[in-house]
Amino acid sequence: MASLGVLDSANLNGGQKLAVKYFTVAIALFGAQVLFGLLAGLQYLYPDFLYGVLDFSVNRMLHINALVVWLLFGFIGAVYWLLEDESGVPVVGLALGNLVFWVLTLAVVVVVGIYLLVQVGPGEMKSIWLINEGREYIEAPRWADIGIVVCMLAFFYNVAATFMKGRFTGIGGVLVLDLVALAGLYTAGMWYTPNISMDQHWWWWVIHLWVEATWEVLVGCLLAYGLIKTMGVRRKIVETWLYIEVALLFGSGILGLGHHYFWIGTPEYWLAIGGFFSALEPIPLVAMVVHAVFDAGHHKLKSTNNPALAWMIAQAFGNFFGAGVWGFMHTLPQINLYTHGTQWTASHGHLAFFGAYATIVIAFVYLAVQKWRGNVWMSGELVGAWRWKWAIFLLHVGMIGMTMALLIAGYEQSQIERAIEGSGWMGYFAAQAHPWFQQGMTWRMISGWVFAAGFLLLAWDLLTIGSRESRPARRLEPQEAMAVS
Amino acid sequence: MLQPVELANFFTVFFSAALVILCGALYALLFAWSRVSRRPWLMPWAYAAYAGLAASVIVLGRAANLFDGGLWTIVIALMLVGYLLAPHGVWHLCVGTHAQGDGKDPLSQPR
Repeated sequence: MASLGVLDSANLNGGQKLAVKYFTVAIALFGAQVLFGLLAGLQYLYPDFLYGVLDFSVNRMLHINALVVWLLFGFIGAVYWLLEDESGVPVVGLALGNLVFWVLTLAVVVVVGIYLLVQVGPGEMKSIWLINEGREYIEAPRWADIGIVVCMLAFFYNVAATFMKGRFTGIGGVLVLDLVALAGLYTAGMWYTPNISMDQHWWWWVIHLWVEATWEVLVGCLLAYGLIKTMGVRRKIVETWLYIEVALLFGSGILGLGHHYFWIGTPEYWLAIGGFFSALEPIPLVAMVVHAVFDAGHHKLKSTNNPALAWMIAQAFGNFFGAGVWGFMHTLPQINLYTHGTQWTASHGHLAFFGAYATIVIAFVYLAVQKWRGNVWMSGELVGAWRWKWAIFLLHVGMIGMTMALLIAGYEQSQIERAIEGSGWMGYFAAQAHPWFQQGMTWRMISGWVFAAGFLLLAWDLLTIGSRESRPARRLEPQEAMAVS
Repeated sequence: MLQPVELANFFTVFFSAALVILCGALYALLFAWSRVSRRPWLMPWAYAAYAGLAASVIVLGRAANLFDGGLWTIVIALMLVGYLLAPHGVWHLCVGTHAQGDGKDPLSQPR
């Protein structure tokens, strides 16, 4: 073990060395997401800004694609981070895992390069295969789609083979099954059909079922591991809860898919199914509230890594408000008729993605930095702790500001564009020109700058946290430590 | 089958739907806190939060025209029953799972 506070890969096992590569790219892509978001936000205020150079449609696509990819890199990194710890054996096929990392990273660079260089063109099969598939959020060209599935299968092999060679913990079992779904569901977004309703039907399988089923379960696994590591929560307890939450999430989340089928031309029964299961979807979140209070009373919130724990707590709140409150406000079809696809959706999307997913990836990056620096002290009275505290504060203030500004803009759109003007073209422009909408965009921009400042502080903190510490990480109480062994 | 919300009721729908989830969480929070910290005086406040939830569900149901069709009335009933029972069920699961890990845990004793 190298000296405390110094970044040294000798402190990491094989899987963790690969994980930090994924985390590095993830944070870089997070920065790209923020950058393209700022540019897109400016284009709402100054529509001529970068027109013909970097059009709004491309900016927006890059903003959202960067989000999906950085979270994916973060999740893969987090799984490699815990893999050897959980399985008790070195990662099987680590060389393949490293190869996949470089292939995936190179593919992302090439795809982004193509997006930037070829912004307009004919809608033909050659474009779909080489440039842009055209499906919102998963615009990657077909060659990249196939590459993503191959990389996910290789990743699945690494994870499944490692657990099969070592021990299959509860976390490991859920994780392996979840990765089958993660790779399999992505293929649903690759079929082409000239019927737009059928096309959207399958496309939502990727968008909804990835996000509200496989990603949520993956996050459940990561949180379970994170709680064991930072708070010493007993494995038996977190794994039992993992099973319960997986059951609740799947029970409500899979058919909650129906709330995306309301207006795409699917049969009318989806209104009932979507409404019914969407009303159930917040129940796992309420369950988490009870469990969190129970555990807080049980463990007194003592932790080995305060920044990671703070981000995990932020995950619980962000998931509850972003997915639960903001989702349920407009999920019933009676009101969703007016809000679907307005800035209301963007408001929900911003808070839910940040709250449910970005937070847990950031928590894992803090866990990684701690061990990378020789398992250095990251509990109370950490040297330079102001940086992580201000970073989490600014990122949340920025995100809440953006969410509220988009909410007001979306509320105005749902009234003027949808209800009064009947969703027509003139209604769209009437809503865009309304002072509430324009002020909403201004405040979203201001909040975006606050968020960007928080990101810069976060990046600085991740590069430096623990570097001036010479104390080893806090030891868990003997009773708590048993859970980790 | 589906009667869209009247324009005048937009805000009521958004606000009452948000209150359903917030009151649900407050009810769960107070319920669990009352039991975990052995403060029984908090329990009436937990049920007051549930009453707030129930009122929000009724307001939401009226504003979103959920009382107009059989199925949507079932959704109302589901929300009222589901949110009432969920914290109880989850509490028992908490006690059960922690009791498996540590029989001496004072929090593990069913109440």
